[in-house]
Amino acid sequence: MIKAIQRRSPVQFDAKPLFTEMRNSWKIVLSYQDEKDGPFLVDLSHMTRWDIQDGKLDSILPVGIEIPETPGECRLKNGILINRMNRTQAAIWHLDQNAHDMPVESCYTDVTEATVFLALFGHNTFSITEKLTSLDFGNPGIKPPSLLQGPFCNVPSQIVLMEKKDNVSGAILLTCQRGYAHGIVSAIMDAGEEFGLRPAGESRFLGFLADGTSVLAS
Amino acid sequence: MNRLTNLPTLRINPAEELTFYYGRTNFSGCYGDTVASALYAGGVRIFSRSLKYHRPRGLYSLDGECSNTLMTVNSIPNIRTENTLLKPDMKVDAQNVMGSAENDMMGFMDKLDFFMPAGFYYRIMHKPSFIWPIFMKHIRKAAGLGTISPDFRMKGVYDEIYPVADVCIIGGGAAGMSAALAAADSGKRIILIESRPWLGGCFDYRIHSYGKGKPLYLRARELAAQVEQTPNIRIFKHTFLIGAYSANMLTAFQTGGENDSFDERYIEIKSESFVVATGCIERPLLFENNERPGVMQISCAHRLAKTYGVLPGKDAVFSVGHDTGLEAAIDLFDLGLKVSCVADIREDGHDQKLLEELAERRIPFLGGWAAARVHGEKHVNKVTLSKLDGTIQRHFHCDLLVASAGLTPVTAPLSLMNAGFEYDDHTGYFLPVNMPEKVFAAGRITGLNNPSSIEASGRLAGFMAAMASGASCKNEIEDARKALAMLPGPERGTKFLSVPVSGRKTFICFDEDTTIKNIRQAIDMGFDVPELIKRFTSAGTGPGQSGIPGHNLPLCVANYTGKCISKFRPTTVRPPVVPTYIATYAGRKHRMTKRTPVHDLQVKKCGVFRLMGVWERARYFSDDFTCRNEILNVRNNVGMLDSSTLGKFRIHGPDALKALQRVYVSDMRSVRNGCIKYSAMCNDDGCVIDDGVIVRISENDYYFTTSTARAGQTIEWIRYHTKYDDWDFHIVNLTDSMGVINISGPNSRKVLEKIADSDLSNTAFPFGGYREFSVAGVIPVRAMRPGFVGELSYELHVPSSWMQSLWEIIESAGKEFNIGNFGVEAQNVMRMEKGHLILGIESEQRTNLLDLGLGFLWDRSKMEAKTVGAVALRQAENDSGRLKLVGIKMDDSQRPPRDGSVIVDKRIRGYVCTARRSFSLDTVIGMAIVESDLSNIGTELEIFEDECKAELIHVRVVHMPFYDPEGKRMKM
Repeated sequence: MIKAIQRRSPVQFDAKPLFTEMRNSWKIVLSYQDEKDGPFLVDLSHMTRWDIQDGKLDSILPVGIEIPETPGECRLKNGILINRMNRTQAAIWHLDQNAHDMPVESCYTDVTEATVFLALFGHNTFSITEKLTSLDFGNPGIKPPSLLQGPFCNVPSQIVLMEKKDNVSGAILLTCQRGYAHGIVSAIMDAGEEFGLRPAGESRFLGFLADGTSVLAS
Repeated sequence: MNRLTNLPTLRINPAEELTFYYGRTNFSGCYGDTVASALYAGGVRIFSRSLKYHRPRGLYSLDGECSNTLMTVNSIPNIRTENTLLKPDMKVDAQNVMGSAENDMMGFMDKLDFFMPAGFYYRIMHKPSFIWPIFMKHIRKAAGLGTISPDFRMKGVYDEIYPVADVCIIGGGAAGMSAALAAADSGKRIILIESRPWLGGCFDYRIHSYGKGKPLYLRARELAAQVEQTPNIRIFKHTFLIGAYSANMLTAFQTGGENDSFDERYIEIKSESFVVATGCIERPLLFENNERPGVMQISCAHRLAKTYGVLPGKDAVFSVGHDTGLEAAIDLFDLGLKVSCVADIREDGHDQKLLEELAERRIPFLGGWAAARVHGEKHVNKVTLSKLDGTIQRHFHCDLLVASAGLTPVTAPLSLMNAGFEYDDHTGYFLPVNMPEKVFAAGRITGLNNPSSIEASGRLAGFMAAMASGASCKNEIEDARKALAMLPGPERGTKFLSVPVSGRKTFICFDEDTTIKNIRQAIDMGFDVPELIKRFTSAGTGPGQSGIPGHNLPLCVANYTGKCISKFRPTTVRPPVVPTYIATYAGRKHRMTKRTPVHDLQVKKCGVFRLMGVWERARYFSDDFTCRNEILNVRNNVGMLDSSTLGKFRIHGPDALKALQRVYVSDMRSVRNGCIKYSAMCNDDGCVIDDGVIVRISENDYYFTTSTARAGQTIEWIRYHTKYDDWDFHIVNLTDSMGVINISGPNSRKVLEKIADSDLSNTAFPFGGYREFSVAGVIPVRAMRPGFVGELSYELHVPSSWMQSLWEIIESAGKEFNIGNFGVEAQNVMRMEKGHLILGIESEQRTNLLDLGLGFLWDRSKMEAKTVGAVALRQAENDSGRLKLVGIKMDDSQRPPRDGSVIVDKRIRGYVCTARRSFSLDTVIGMAIVESDLSNIGTELEIFEDECKAELIHVRVVHMPFYDPEGKRMKM
């Protein structure tokens, strides 16, 4: 029995979608029932991600945005987040609904399918992450947005610190290999249970992106 | 309930009663009690029996320093009842007893100590040699404390956290709290860990004056309130240090309280700097029967009363070596304990005020005296005190002996951090020297005893730790240093002294029943170093990790050998410092395995999954693990396999080809458009480490696959072997990005033709070809025609998000051809029939490319120095004495030999890699690695299996491939 011919995310939350939308063959959940007040975990695996590798990264302007100079630095502009990973590599994440066409230069690779892409934000975000990783989001020297690369649930991950309100509240974006989606989502939901972590739809994330402070203050 | 209820130092709530069971008897304790304090309050004096001699054991330290009070709680053995808070309806049982703790039928063992001298395990019962296995069996059966059912499942929530700090302080006493407050002034992030459920350390329960009429316990509460109100100090109470490791990492576990979401949680702390303020424990006084129930340390007796409201006895004798003993005697006397006598091992140096207070209470005091023997079979009923030279003795009837030789620092954390220790004559302590970088000691561990000095040393250490973590507090450090210098320094301590005893029942290690006599026996046999004596006598190897014998052992060795104590050190402490549940280490047990995009679809088709590397893969699709139907369906119809776990990579850039040339043995210039090229990678020894196919996507742009197992290392491998070349190429790991569906079988083309928008005829898309097309107009497919299972096959590489849809489309299209799933095991059998090998199964460290029959892949015209493994292959080419991969066939088609069975004649000559019943050929076939002289076709081989009872399995070396040797089926 063929279900609809569509692209499917590796993430399936144990929650009932309230509003969905078909976009670029992805069935995207805009909101879930009973999302409550957060913290929230949002599946963004449908959002376009590119890998860019080149010996002369500084001379490249992906969609007109400069790549940050220092590994670990990020630049967020017009819904595009560019994370400098190392001397020759950067990641470009589209955080809005309108993905650009990938430039034709060979230095770009579409890696949307390679990873699971999650947003975790709201109260007690760092109380949750602390149960899963020793990456130091509380380091006062790390100002958002910043890229941290290291183990999350023992899985090599790229994590961008998007917002840090205090020692426990804030927002992160996380990617790791797609195959780990089931395990990592289970681990995050399990760790977040005591803090009331709930799955949320894309709208919640876009709302946060538009006005992060209100989500964290609520 | 018989409790002291009106003490301001209490940590229990006498009004809140908790009931629990000890054996079959109902007991009650108070909220805040530990299991041990509640049992003691209920009249229990014998908590367990000792390991070897089954001697009765009772409360001794109240801090879990020894195994005396390890008990079975809620079916979990070896629970440290002194550290475990009482919960309602707990079920507590004594352990290591036959009968009950009071009446243990194994108690006679105490009389057999002559049979168990030091190192008896190595010396006795070995001659004649045949008796040793018999005794060994019984000794091993008797060893260990507690029993647990093999299928026991731990209940509870075991969590984990990985906090990061700038300064981590171990110990929540006055020094630790002062250090935390000082370090917090700098704005740094502070973590404070404390093993008790509250802060305060040795101040917490004492009414001795801190100064200006304020008692110590109030000062402790003041400090605790300040610490708790400081936002950048994070406190972990009831948290036990487990280990300290490189990279500034500490491990610990925390016991959850009633408001916590966990029962225990593992804590891994990373910190820039550390302050160790773990204070002191008491050094046990050595005398005959020094561990008899009713003998306890000063702080144990004192805290029982002041913290838990339990008077430790009715009639007590004190034999102490520190002013805290005098303080406790006065305090407990005032609470109603009859104190018959206080003996102090020190001849002088006492706090005169305390002596006056003893005199005011008419408590006899004997300076330069100590306990020589305790009398009583199961409990203390009399104590013999003696002058230190043994010349005069006095006897006292009592039910409690409070005994201590003085204080000694808790050095385990510093020992774990690789600090050195040196004996200090003044304090009588092993003091830390050669402190590791960014580690600071504070408080009583440094020999200080004056309360103000303890706090001042804490402040100094706190500032220094903050500076070590990057804070600017030079002036504060200078001020703190000056303040400390103005205060009293380390006090004179007690030397290693005891009255003359035979040592037969004078225990230096309670956990292992090691006596002074055992130590002397070991020394007499030539063991003159504490580390060796520890191993020979077992002293300090029990669950208390040298808590009791820790510092007495080197002192005792120095004393007996007459050597200078400065030559000796406490023995090494190793993690876990305190017994830790395996469940706590396991934490949340998140199953971090990878799943393919069509995992759930295969589950629905009854896939039986096995973990292969990091991936969960469907190995079978029925409970017939021979996979007969799966195999025959592929051979006769068509089957589909999820091969998404294959490693998949893009390599691009001007020098991409050079990089491929470096790591692959073939000439990669010959990769043609529209074709796949099969090749292998070798290591420097010529051993094959990986194989896969390479496709040229466009100029300087290639797509290649690796085996599932090697995918994780591929990028590093290529980078490593090109690191000096400064080549311009880049690699992207697409393993998870692309799913792979393998359609195999004579009908596979018919299935694919129904859904693909491309000409799939053998002419348009031949064997070894590569094409890109779409399915259903939207699903982009990269298709290859390999022949791994020996049939007409298509390998469809698809973006992962499309995999489920494509899988369902193929299933639907293949329905009329009886398409079915096949798993990894069916693939394994079919590829073996075809003679195709799997690296790691048909290869190993000793086999190179040539040994495996893959020499045809090696392009000898490539420059050797430029191809990894080529030099070794050239050298091995004419080596006749190598292992060879051969095909084997059983003459009589019985069951196949097990994988890994050895091939023998008079010795082992090889082994079976894979052997299976071939349903396609109706015989048993396999592949084996054998020494080259056995590799000729027709050679008879004999296979030995475990438990084969000398009935060897006979096989013959035959040609490979077994199935379709001309390869017509995969090229159709």
